[in-house]
Amino acid sequence: MVRLKSRYLLCEVNVSDRSQLLLLDDRAIMVAVKAAVARTHGDYGAAMCSIRFCVKYLNAHTGIVFLRFPKSCYKLLWSALPFITSIETRGQKIPCFLNCLHVGGTIRTCQKFLIRYNTQQLHRMLPKCKSEEEKQQVRKAILSCSLTESKEAFEEDSESEEEEEEEE
Amino acid sequence: MSAAKVKMREKKMRNQPASVQYPSSSSNVESSTQNGADAPGTGKNADPLKGGLSEVHPSTERQKKTPHQSGWVRGHHKDGGGYTKEMPKYVTAGAFARARAAEVSAMLKAVRKTTSSSRVFEALPKHMRRRAMSHNTKRLPHRLREVANRMREKGLQAGSKKKKEQAKSKSRKARRRHGNLLLEFNRRQRKNIWLETHIWHAKRFHMVKKWGYCLGDRPTYKCYRACYRAMSSHCLLQDLSYYCCIELQGDEDKLLAALSQLTSKEAGPTFAAALCLSGRRQGSVMVYRAGRYPSQPLGPVTFLWRPRTQGSVHRQLWIWAHPTLKQDLLPELQTVCQCCEAVLPPAAPVEVNPTLEAENTPEAKPVPGTKRKRSRKDATGPPAKKILGDGTRLPSTPVSWRSSSNGIVINDLTMEIVRYRLIGPQSHSVLVDTLEAATGCDEVPKSQTCSLWWPQHCSDEAKMTLHQQQADIFNILKGIYSTAELPSGTVLGLTVDDPRLTLPRKRVKALPCVKQAQEVDEEKRRKLMLEGVPEPCCQSFIWEQSVRDNVTDNKISEQELNRMRSEVLVPGSRLSPTPLQGRVPILLVEQPGKQVGHEMSSWGAGWDLLLPKGWGMAFWIPLVYRGVRIGGLNMSLKHSQNKAAPHFPRDYPDCPAGMRFQEEQEAELLNKFKRHPPAKRTNYIKHGCVAPFRCPWQQLAEEWEIIVQEGGSQTRTTAQADAVTEERTSQQAISITKPPSRFTVLRNRKALKLLSAWCRPTTSKGQRPCRVGELPPISCEAVTSFLSAHAMSLVWVHVSLPSKGKPEYHAMLCVPTPDDLKALGNRQGTGGPQEPPHRDHFKSRIKRRKKDPKKAATPSVTPDKPDGKKADLIFASDLDTNASKDPKSFSESSSDLVLGLWPDPLPSVASHCSRVTVGWVTQGDFSMSAGCGEALGFVSVAGLLNTLLNQTSEHKGKLLLRNPTSLHYRFAKINIEV
Repeated sequence: MVRLKSRYLLCEVNVSDRSQLLLLDDRAIMVAVKAAVARTHGDYGAAMCSIRFCVKYLNAHTGIVFLRFPKSCYKLLWSALPFITSIETRGQKIPCFLNCLHVGGTIRTCQKFLIRYNTQQLHRMLPKCKSEEEKQQVRKAILSCSLTESKEAFEEDSESEEEEEEEE
Repeated sequence: MSAAKVKMREKKMRNQPASVQYPSSSSNVESSTQNGADAPGTGKNADPLKGGLSEVHPSTERQKKTPHQSGWVRGHHKDGGGYTKEMPKYVTAGAFARARAAEVSAMLKAVRKTTSSSRVFEALPKHMRRRAMSHNTKRLPHRLREVANRMREKGLQAGSKKKKEQAKSKSRKARRRHGNLLLEFNRRQRKNIWLETHIWHAKRFHMVKKWGYCLGDRPTYKCYRACYRAMSSHCLLQDLSYYCCIELQGDEDKLLAALSQLTSKEAGPTFAAALCLSGRRQGSVMVYRAGRYPSQPLGPVTFLWRPRTQGSVHRQLWIWAHPTLKQDLLPELQTVCQCCEAVLPPAAPVEVNPTLEAENTPEAKPVPGTKRKRSRKDATGPPAKKILGDGTRLPSTPVSWRSSSNGIVINDLTMEIVRYRLIGPQSHSVLVDTLEAATGCDEVPKSQTCSLWWPQHCSDEAKMTLHQQQADIFNILKGIYSTAELPSGTVLGLTVDDPRLTLPRKRVKALPCVKQAQEVDEEKRRKLMLEGVPEPCCQSFIWEQSVRDNVTDNKISEQELNRMRSEVLVPGSRLSPTPLQGRVPILLVEQPGKQVGHEMSSWGAGWDLLLPKGWGMAFWIPLVYRGVRIGGLNMSLKHSQNKAAPHFPRDYPDCPAGMRFQEEQEAELLNKFKRHPPAKRTNYIKHGCVAPFRCPWQQLAEEWEIIVQEGGSQTRTTAQADAVTEERTSQQAISITKPPSRFTVLRNRKALKLLSAWCRPTTSKGQRPCRVGELPPISCEAVTSFLSAHAMSLVWVHVSLPSKGKPEYHAMLCVPTPDDLKALGNRQGTGGPQEPPHRDHFKSRIKRRKKDPKKAATPSVTPDKPDGKKADLIFASDLDTNASKDPKSFSESSSDLVLGLWPDPLPSVASHCSRVTVGWVTQGDFSMSAGCGEALGFVSVAGLLNTLLNQTSEHKGKLLLRNPTSLHYRFAKINIEV
């Protein structure tokens, strides 16, 4: 079918002080990416970056970002991402770098990848825990994201049906 | 984004995760805590469990709270730039883990749920698709089956809801069964009554719902010219049963005394006119509110007195009125006759009640279970009967009122009598062809005389001789050459055979038979033409309620008649002996044609046929089989236009019904106008047409009164008058001192005659000399004295265009300037002057409003409104000087500004254009009888006289006519015809 094709980049914002991560917002990341592209690729790059570039999702707690680039020039834009050294947000400059984890053709593949990645990370976290309390919490988190599958599906179903009834 | 789009987007995005970030506004503290922000920092000391819970679905929660602001909406949200202090100081491993887990669950939800609105199988790749997949879910891959099943069930539920309603209706066969069909018909005419010929009409006509009836407007086939030809050379048939008949009974002197309050002798003959009172003629009269002769007219009615019976002063009078008039007329009649006692109809009114009961009982008796079917059968046991007469009326509504003081009884006979109108010179031959005087019955078996009325009458010698006389006169009708030869309003009572018996096998055109014409006695014919029908022959049994009911109840059904026909020995021969039920009393009333003017006199004369109810179709089909054309409402308008007669609600702007009509028409025309895209609409402001959809008669009359007052007795040019109006209107705007008096239409015969003489009653071609006679010539004194009495009046004029042009309704009638008349004298061929195009000052305002709709819509409208009105008036008063003025002065005043139409209040209507307006046309068209454009309209008396005074004798009565959609003025000649 005829459609506009894009590439979705799943990136991780790495900062030295994790509390600074919470200051991030999508606007700031967008500005930073644009600036980096303009610096490395000049006006041509900036122009490329102005079409259909978008920050689709940002989680300030985990530092996960979805970036959307047009498929025709995503490599060019991608190549500028390593040059981001700091993001300016709310009057503060956060030194950071972007680590690209996954490149997907649809946002769905990115989401799928993210699920896998996050659970993996959680599993890695578990043995490294220092205190018992922490261990407990992490274990709970792992359980919540793995065990819910069947339960959640059930809940969602009932939920969605309720909503539909309201609509009618 | 529109609301629908937002909603759709919301639905699509509800499962997608939103960005999780701290809002940048300090005001939005609550939402920041809900985002799970409290957990990492303060969560430990406060309530870790709660914090944890709230953090499990941070994204979903947020989504529900503020769906519009989720991260998917493009662009940055301008929440303000403050820095929040709720930001946590450090991050713990547990909080981080929770955040991770929350993200995972959000993503899981996003991945699991399909976002698109497509069906399940559409998401499959092409090679996995199978035929009828949407129908049979088992063809889908196993993993998708569950979702598909759910979707399918939902679809079925939605579909079943719609289908349930349809399933309620019975099968076509059941619906078309006769009884059910009649029930359905009776249900459908609850709001708008059907005439008896409704179904015939509905198959052939564009039906309109008007005045509480379903009426045929115009045929679906092309027959405009054919109908005109029928009217002028053969016969056109119309069903006028929707006209309301009101019956008055009482002593003659008391009736006349009561009715005299409603009329005035100045406006022509009244109810007491000798010829009408004897019952030989039908009369027509203009009815006013009691004792309010010139100011409050109600409308025109026709009336018919029943001929006197020997030695009795008790009289019967039928007043026929238009349905829109009836609601005003009936209360007025009741007050005049002091009939306030409603006589309740007898316990079981004969024909209306059973049908209603039959309708209601099936719904009223919800008998449970098994008995239902039987009870239903019982309820409809008396077979569903067609409603005859007025079905919308409740059976308990009184239809007759009695006066205790003077013994007058008023009966509302609406829909009780069928009235057909035949228009055209050959309508008598159609009648003669169709109807046959009733044959007497020789063998009168005494045993069965009880029910039928005719055998009883046959036994009475006097009645039979009367019938014989009537039949003779009816036969003389064969000998006349045109319907118009008879004296207008002649009444003939008759009893006829069922016309279905003599139905021709093929449709034939009824033509006058020369042979028969010669057979008729010359002497008798001349007597009929000069004197009309002698008084006793005007008597008819249709006047009697009991006979009418008897005839209606005993009508042979079509089915029965056909069965009898099939039993005749020689197929196709006439049924003999005629069944006893087939005798119908009828009344024939001659309808006068064109009575005014000199040309085409008595054009459009015809006969009215009055029948008892229930017999409508029995007479209609035989009439149609005589080759008549059928006309609808549209044709009756054209008929009156060609007759130069005012048409009821349209041409009576001073009557309440006329006012209602004007309002309806304005709404309708405005609606039609607004349906066009703005670029395709006529810009009436540019055409200088102030009121294209409605004629502001009151304003016109007031303005001309002021002009004339200012002008006094001096002779002044129209240009000066123009200036005066402008001055005066501006003054008027500042202080309206005079109590507004209503405009009236001049109907005083004497005054009309005088006016008619003054504007030189010429024909449209202007050949005949005027017959001024003993009337005073036009002069300033005469005019002032005339105006002192009729300053606020309008007068009904007939306009004809000697050259080109087809007048339309609401065309303006304007006063020509002396230069125009000079130009007319020099070059006869030129069409007429042009109006310079006007400027549309409202256009920029509309444009501006379009540009910034928010500003115009919300704040500035309400406070500026009075200001804007004032500015409008100023603007109206000095139109030309103000042209360059900044349009901001009249701000966005009226919210209902329509491009190309003047907003209220209107500027001065008289002096808006370069030629002064004196009136408007109410109906106009190309007249096929005159071969030129002809129109009928009203002009202000003051304006007309002012014009006539200034005109030289050879140009007297010449005005200019301009259509609302044109800038071209055409010369027109006006006649006031009495």
